[in-house]
Amino acid sequence: MPDAAVGAIAFVTLLTIMVGARGIRVARTPDDFMVAARQVPPALNAAAISGEYLSAASFLGIAGLVVVQGLGALWYSVGYTAGYLVLLLLVAAPLRRFGAYTIPDFAVGRLGSRGLRQTATALVLVIGWFYLLPQMKGAGITLQWVLGTPYWVGAATLGVVVSCNIAMGGMKGVTFVQCFQYWLKLCAIGIPALVLLIAAGHHSSPNLTPDRAAVFTRATVVTMTQATSFTLPHAAATTVTGLLDQRTYRDQGVRLCACRHVAGAGTRIGFAAGAPVPVSLAMEPSSGDSWDSPFLTSATSGAHPLAATYGVIIATFFGAIGLPHILVRFYTNPDGEAARRTTLIVVLLLSSFYLFPTVLAVLARTQAPQLYLSSDSDSIVLALPTVLLGGLPGELLAALVAAGAFAAFLSTSSGLLVSVAGALSHDLLKRGVTTFRWCAITAGAIATIAALLIDRFSLALLVGWAFAIAASSFCPLMVLGIWWRRLTRIGAMAGIVIGGGSCLAAIVSTMLGVSASGWGAVLTSQPASWTVPLAFGVMIVVSLLTQRTVPANVGQVMLRMHLPEALSRQAYRAAGQAPGAAGRSRGQR
Amino acid sequence: MTAPDLGDPAPGAGDPGAGDPAPGRQRVVWRPDQVLVQHDIPGLSDLRDDTTAGRLLLKSFVRAQLGLSLMCLTFALTVTASFPVIAAMVPSVSRITVGGVPLTLIVLGFAFYPVFLAVGWFYNRHARQLEVRFTSLVDPASRRPDA
Repeated sequence: MPDAAVGAIAFVTLLTIMVGARGIRVARTPDDFMVAARQVPPALNAAAISGEYLSAASFLGIAGLVVVQGLGALWYSVGYTAGYLVLLLLVAAPLRRFGAYTIPDFAVGRLGSRGLRQTATALVLVIGWFYLLPQMKGAGITLQWVLGTPYWVGAATLGVVVSCNIAMGGMKGVTFVQCFQYWLKLCAIGIPALVLLIAAGHHSSPNLTPDRAAVFTRATVVTMTQATSFTLPHAAATTVTGLLDQRTYRDQGVRLCACRHVAGAGTRIGFAAGAPVPVSLAMEPSSGDSWDSPFLTSATSGAHPLAATYGVIIATFFGAIGLPHILVRFYTNPDGEAARRTTLIVVLLLSSFYLFPTVLAVLARTQAPQLYLSSDSDSIVLALPTVLLGGLPGELLAALVAAGAFAAFLSTSSGLLVSVAGALSHDLLKRGVTTFRWCAITAGAIATIAALLIDRFSLALLVGWAFAIAASSFCPLMVLGIWWRRLTRIGAMAGIVIGGGSCLAAIVSTMLGVSASGWGAVLTSQPASWTVPLAFGVMIVVSLLTQRTVPANVGQVMLRMHLPEALSRQAYRAAGQAPGAAGRSRGQR
Repeated sequence: MTAPDLGDPAPGAGDPGAGDPAPGRQRVVWRPDQVLVQHDIPGLSDLRDDTTAGRLLLKSFVRAQLGLSLMCLTFALTVTASFPVIAAMVPSVSRITVGGVPLTLIVLGFAFYPVFLAVGWFYNRHARQLEVRFTSLVDPASRRPDA
């Protein structure tokens, strides 16, 4: 079975390297490396942005989470799309007109402060690494599922491929790679979703109203990949081979009571059609009657699902603005108008993509409920095709899904690594292509090592955390910096440090398991609902208190961000400057 | 259409104001890429030099743009973020099914995306219109060629 999938993954990886290598000949100056020399038309650019944005969480994480926790997890896909709408409304055009390369560049160009540059750069590294971890984890579990290799092999493979590719080609190559990978990802999730939907329609009319406990629609053998404890909603007759409740069976009929059971690794339990689907205790799935609730239901948010839901909504809606690898893409638009058009196309491309994880999740839930018992939620999408379709068609679809998933890890981690390495070389060390290359390799290595420590968190949760940090630090900086004259560097610094710092502290305390229940758990596991208002509030109040430090050139900067191109071209040409000088100035350094 | 300075002997042709022959008279040299520079745009120099009038002009424009953005944002946020509150206050909402499909699945899985697209399309249209209006306010002559 794995042959097709291995071939598909190898094909995607080689293609990425080859398209990237084509960039070596094209990319010569640091400008080429950083933002593809600003000559990318909107449709191509929009596909590249979407290709970069759709990460492991979108491809594997959301569908898995929906299967396990319920429809409320769809808030992640709604939020990831809405993030681009908010970006379009608040920052797209002015940011492009401002013409800085990175968020630290923006902070310094707008507010003029060295300390702010270092703080912003440090935060780019935090968000970038936080976002790289789930990509590495995704690669780890994908290769684990396809080849049976240990988790670290996949993570390390991705790290090496991406670091070398970035170090060789820079972003010129990556723009084409990203564009190609959006369409690959759309096919890799769309085709399996449609084929499986048609196939499922032949079998039975799917029960889409699982407000009762899930049942097997046909006789199913569940194989435990690891030791698992589970419960049954009601008693059922089964056939068991292997270790169950400390007894070893060999293909014997066992009547399981509606209570807690422990199965050993490799145990096979056969259920008849109509038997209840076991509920895994480790996976914290929703109870049968809350699967269609519109709230995020997980163990950490159990007591306050509404608060957790709003935490995710705020983090994802406002987080996209502050993602370092996304902003850099906006400078590849020729002007502000094109930036707006690009962003709207991105919303369209993302909306089309996110229809399919939903379809896959509903199919998995109704047709193959055994999946969430025997495997990690993040590998459900990978396993679904072979479970629903036997034989060669299933294998081919599974290969397609695995290739698409790998494309997702490759593209997102490439974009992230460009901005992390860019921040390291451009803002902290000395600039230049050689430094950039070494920074890419170092940053990739650090992320790979860190990824080995976080494999117990779900992909969607990890990515959601990167969004939460971005939303409570860079988002207020960008929004207030663009629309509010009276922002000061002290106010910006205070907002970033307090907002981003408290968000990071809350997340780290969740990772370490400090507060496990009640309000504390909700407010630390989904901190955006309080850290985003906090960051905005601190930034505004401190700025109002330090009005004497408003930069002297704020008028010029506001003009540069908001003046339509039709006027700014004339304004600066008439003033005797070279055309385009406004868009190319790099802030004061 | 570009036939730049074919045998153009005029000194300072690319630099209006620098080689003026006499005060009160301006030498006009036609060149296709210079046609926009030659006419005088008081609003633009006000903006560029950050005078009180220019600052006021820019401020009103930025405020109009921000108003449009916030209006669209409020609409999108109200449509999406009100759903959990409604579902929490009226629990029966999440039990509704349409043709066997749960309402939650329809709303979260499909219904929000067209709303986002419509809001984005509306915003782009109106932001562009605001810019065109501002451009022609500052520089009435810009209405001519491609604006």
